[in-house]
This record gives sequence, C-alpha cells and structure tokens, in this order.
Amino acid sequence: MSRFLNEFDAKNLLAEYGVPMVKSRVAHTKEEAEKITDEIKFPAVMKVLSADIQHKTEAGCVFLGVEKDKANEIFDKICDNARTYAPEAVIDGILIQEMADSSLEVIVGMKKDPQFGPVLMVGLGGIYVEVFQDVSLRLLPIDRQEVQRMLEETRLYKIIKGARGTRYDEETLIDVLLSISKMSLEQPDIEEIDINPLFLYEEGKGAKGVDALIRM
Amino acid sequence: MDQNLNALFDPENIAVIGASNNPLKAGYTVIQNLNQIGYPKKVFPVTPSEKEILGRDCYEKLSDIEERVELVVLATPAKLIYHIMEDLTVRFQTKNDVKVIVCIAADYGETRTEEGIRRQECLMDTAKKYGIRVVGPNCIGIIDNINRVDTTFVETLIPTEMRGRKGGISFISQSGAMAASILMMGASQPVPISMNKFISIGNMADVDFIDLLEYFEQDEDTKVIGMYLEGYPDGRKLIDTLARIVKKKPVVVLKVGRSSIGALAANSHTGSLAGADAVYEAAFRQYGITRVCTIEEMMDILQAFDAMHLPGGDRCFLLTQAGGPGIYCTDAFVEEKILEFPRITDNTKERLKDILPPMANICSPEGYADITAAATVEQHVESLRAVMEDDNVDSVILVTVVPTFLPRKELAEGFITLLKNKEYGSKKPVYICIMAGGYVWECRKLLEEQGIRTFTTPAHCVTAAGHMAEYHKFLKRQKGEKEHE
Repeated sequence: MSRFLNEFDAKNLLAEYGVPMVKSRVAHTKEEAEKITDEIKFPAVMKVLSADIQHKTEAGCVFLGVEKDKANEIFDKICDNARTYAPEAVIDGILIQEMADSSLEVIVGMKKDPQFGPVLMVGLGGIYVEVFQDVSLRLLPIDRQEVQRMLEETRLYKIIKGARGTRYDEETLIDVLLSISKMSLEQPDIEEIDINPLFLYEEGKGAKGVDALIRM
Repeated sequence: MDQNLNALFDPENIAVIGASNNPLKAGYTVIQNLNQIGYPKKVFPVTPSEKEILGRDCYEKLSDIEERVELVVLATPAKLIYHIMEDLTVRFQTKNDVKVIVCIAADYGETRTEEGIRRQECLMDTAKKYGIRVVGPNCIGIIDNINRVDTTFVETLIPTEMRGRKGGISFISQSGAMAASILMMGASQPVPISMNKFISIGNMADVDFIDLLEYFEQDEDTKVIGMYLEGYPDGRKLIDTLARIVKKKPVVVLKVGRSSIGALAANSHTGSLAGADAVYEAAFRQYGITRVCTIEEMMDILQAFDAMHLPGGDRCFLLTQAGGPGIYCTDAFVEEKILEFPRITDNTKERLKDILPPMANICSPEGYADITAAATVEQHVESLRAVMEDDNVDSVILVTVVPTFLPRKELAEGFITLLKNKEYGSKKPVYICIMAGGYVWECRKLLEEQGIRTFTTPAHCVTAAGHMAEYHKFLKRQKGEKEHE
C-alpha cells in the first residue's frame, strides 16, 4: 500500500536535499499559531495538514491571503471543515506558509517506472500541465549536461531563455532537478515526487516550490 | 561470444525437419532458400514422406543422419514436437552435435493455450537438457549473408546471383510479419539490401534481444544494428545494453506502441507521470539510440549508416536542380530541427557562379542553391564538387528530377567518378535523391552498385541526414565527456 507524506514532511525532506521551498510552520494549537504569526510573513496561506485529505481546496481547508489578526478564526474554521469533510482523517495540524511571489510555473517530479526505475521529469507547470503536456523525461542516474539537454527539449526552455523578455533562473532549476535525482536514488522508498508549481524567478533570483507531494 | 550462437550463424550442416516438396509449404521454401543462397555445407531434409527434395536426399528421422548436424530447423506442425524431441533424445544417445534449433513453426506458447504452452515447454526442456539454444518458436528464421545461411520461409525474389552479398546491417525483429516485409521491401530497392545477419526472434523462448545485441556488438562485420521492438520484459536491461553498444556502432530502433503517449504525459497529482512509450522515448534520446517511426525511415537510415561516412557536423548544403523539390526539401529540413544551412565562402559562391547557368540561384537563402533544369551533367557534378570542397559544409543533399534532356546514365557515371574519388566520397556524406520513380531506376542502380546511396524523395534524404548528424553529435559528446573524466 502506498502512502503519502504529509505536506510539511514532504517539504522538509525536499528542503533537506536543497530544493528551495516556501517557508512553512505547523501549528497544533491556536497558541502555537499565534506564535508562528511572528515567524512568518503575513498575509499567509493556512491549510490543513493531513495525508488523508488530498483535495484540500474541495474540503474547504485552504485559505489564501490570511491576515495576521484572522489567524485564530481561520484555525478553527479549517478544523471544523476538515472534520465535516473527512471525519476519519488524521489531522497532523494546521500548516501556515508564506505566500510566495508568483512567477513562471514549472513542474518538477520523479516517478518510478516498474521497468526503468526512477524517471525524472521537468516541464511547464501550473494547472494546465495535462493540457500542454510539455514535459521531458530522463532515466537516472543523470549528470548536469544531460539535465541541460532534458530542459532544452521542452517549450518551457524557450520561455526560460527569454521568449517574453525576462530570462529565468535556469541554473537553479538544473540544481533542483539534480537534487530530486539525488534524493530519488538515496531514498529508494520514494515512489513519486511532484512539485507543482515551482515558481522560477528571474536569472540569479532562484526558485520556490509551493506545492509538493511525496508518495512512498 | 556465445559459441552456440556462432553455430546459429555459421553451422556445420543443417537438418530441416518438416521439409516438403510442396512449394506452398515452409518446409519447401527453407530448402530452396538454402540452395539459392549457396549454403556451402550439407543440408539434410527430414521427412518420412519424400525421397528427395530439390536435389537433396531425405531422411526419415533426425536420428538417422550419420553426419554432424549443428543447426536444426523445425518446420513441422507444432503437435509433432513431442515425437521430434523424443527422436532428438535418441540422437543424443550416440551424438552430441546439435547446437541450435530454429523453430519456424507457430502454435506454441504464443497461443496462451494449455497445449501451446506444453509444446513450448517440451521443446525448451529437451533443449536445455542438451545445452541447445532455441530461436523462436513462431518466427520466420535467420539469414547470414556472409556464411550463406538462410533458414527463412520468405520468398523475396532476389535474383540468385544477388544472394549472399556482404552487407553491414544486422537486424532483429520481434515480429515475423514485419521481418518478412522488411526483407521483401529491402529486396525491392534499386539494388536489393543484403544484410549481414537477419533474425526473427518470435516468442523469445530462449534467444532474445540481449543475446543477439551482445553478439552483434562483438561481430566485426556488423556496422549498424536495426531492431523492430514491441516490448521487452526488462526494459532497463535492454536500454543499458543498447547504451553500451551505441558508443561503438549505431543502433536503429523501430519501437511501436507510440500512440498511448498522448494520454499519458505528466499529471500533477493524480495520474501517471508517463506511459511506457514516453519512457522508452526518453531513454532513446538520453543514450543516443536512433529511433525511427516508419519502415521506410528504418531502411533509409540503416543503409545510410552502412554505406556512408558520418558527417563532421550539422551543416548540410542543399543543392537542387528544380525550385519545387528544393522548397519541399527545405520545409522538411527546417522541420527536422537538427540540420543547419551552412554559409559557404565567397570564393565557393564565385566558383558556383562560374560553373552554373546564368539563371541559377546561388545561396538565396544561404546554404541553398538551385542549379536549374538547364544544368548539364557536368554542372551537376562540378557544383557538387565545389560545395563539398567548402570547409563550412559537413554534408550535402542533392536533389535532381532528371528531365528528358539530361542523360541518366552519364549523370550516374559523373557522380560515381566524383564520389568514388577518396577526396570526396569518403570525406563528406552526400544524400542523393533522383526523384523520378521507375524512370531513373537504372540510374540509381548504377550508383547503388558502387555503394553510393540514393533516396526516393527529398524528405527521405533529410531524415537520413538528420539521424546521421544526430549520431555524430552523440559520439562527439561521448568523446568530450570521456576526455573530461
């Protein structure tokens, strides 16, 4: 039986491997949430932390742009909505995370193929991933040059290279892909990794993973 | 190299069980093919119902043959397998000679019936007991043009005098029907394709892709490997094997099952990341394996790899004798996304101006010249020479439609004189398209007989030129990385 890491653990594991992720904290109580308001820049995102609830938006458990003084109120609301939506779900807490500045949306991932082992993926991210299907795949292991060639196969690459004027941080994206590759090889229990979107910023300004999923 | 696989391609004497005098039966065609290819050792037809087949004496049973038999071709109905394996056991009581069985009969494991599976088990159990390798069942057989072996039951109508010519292509097919089509289409070229080794692997009960790829990897006569692939149980192992081989010689794969790719791309949270074909595609790109999508493309590129030298880069000059075909070719060229139009020197442009008729279009756009329908044989040849001598050119596509006033034979001879000269033909590849169907068949034949490849349409030239440039780039990258280490 496969299981998902909760979002907080997934992000932490990715961050350990050097993948830049949005800053987030977990609150188990309203008091903890109160404290976190000093650590994280508000307005922020608040959502339920539960590996049992995959469709958090549908469950009414995601709130964007929450103001500092509303944190308490939203904390209760998320708990109530989660209990109504999925009474059986184990709730690990409430995730409070920074609102990342939006930018070019990239999808980065890995999935194990039954025959070929881990397969690395990169492409144009966002909610239309399936529509555009602009992805490139590679088997592992992989080196920097091959990651570069993999990227060059996508239409995303033209955007990164400044098709609309702005050039994006290609080197950081390559680093992210190499980190995912390293993580996939070192953690054989991981079946699937999916970061979408990863906001890729202007050249030299890095990237930030917003949503992440890890399936074991 | 597996010693038994040596016996597959170069056996000492062959027994054909299920040989027949009926020209409609596989057991007849096998004997006929062995006769026509000029297999130099002995062939023993085995059948209880005939005395002689195509001039060869028949034997009632395999165990009756006194002389050494290394290869057994099984062409009998599958239900007789139990009986034949019993007789093989009898033979092994006194002899220890059979090394390979090629089972061209069907109705074995592929039927997935209890009986079919039992027949295959009977064949395999006996073979394993005596260390015999098995090709098939459910295949069309093998051909080795160097050792003059042909156990197939495919009639290609290649004239007998053309059989057994040496070629550098070795081919493996997972489908018997595709294998037969490829043989037949290859036979219908201006000069029939004569492969080095050809094998249809059928059910892969024993000998499979990896065995053969490793054999061809070591085989010095194999310049390029082609394969028709539907699937392989251990894809990773197959890819790793291919990845190792392509560093030494090109491998061209016609992998089918592409159509699922559309439905199976990336999916952010729910679906599968990629279908099996998308992963194969990625692996082919990653490891420098040449993938083709059609049989025609397969044949073109196999022949190009076999007959031509790799280009030194992507810059391909397009020399056309007519506007329409030139534009048609340019479209294909640009869509290929691999080749680049070179910028030739002013000196070469001047030379072209001197050589060509006054209305010729020289380098508008760059890398393109229309020598016009008025071009003579000499103007064809000399403009090609001028372009080939330019250091900015890595390869040339030459398209000509041959109007009635251009003598075809002289045109072929002119190209031959130029390209057989070591200064030219062995330095840069020239992809020649003489696009006038049967009208220029003899002209193409003259060129092909000299080992100069010709292509049916300009688009075929572009595809071949693109794959060749891509493979060159891959090898260069490999070399660079090796030096870097």
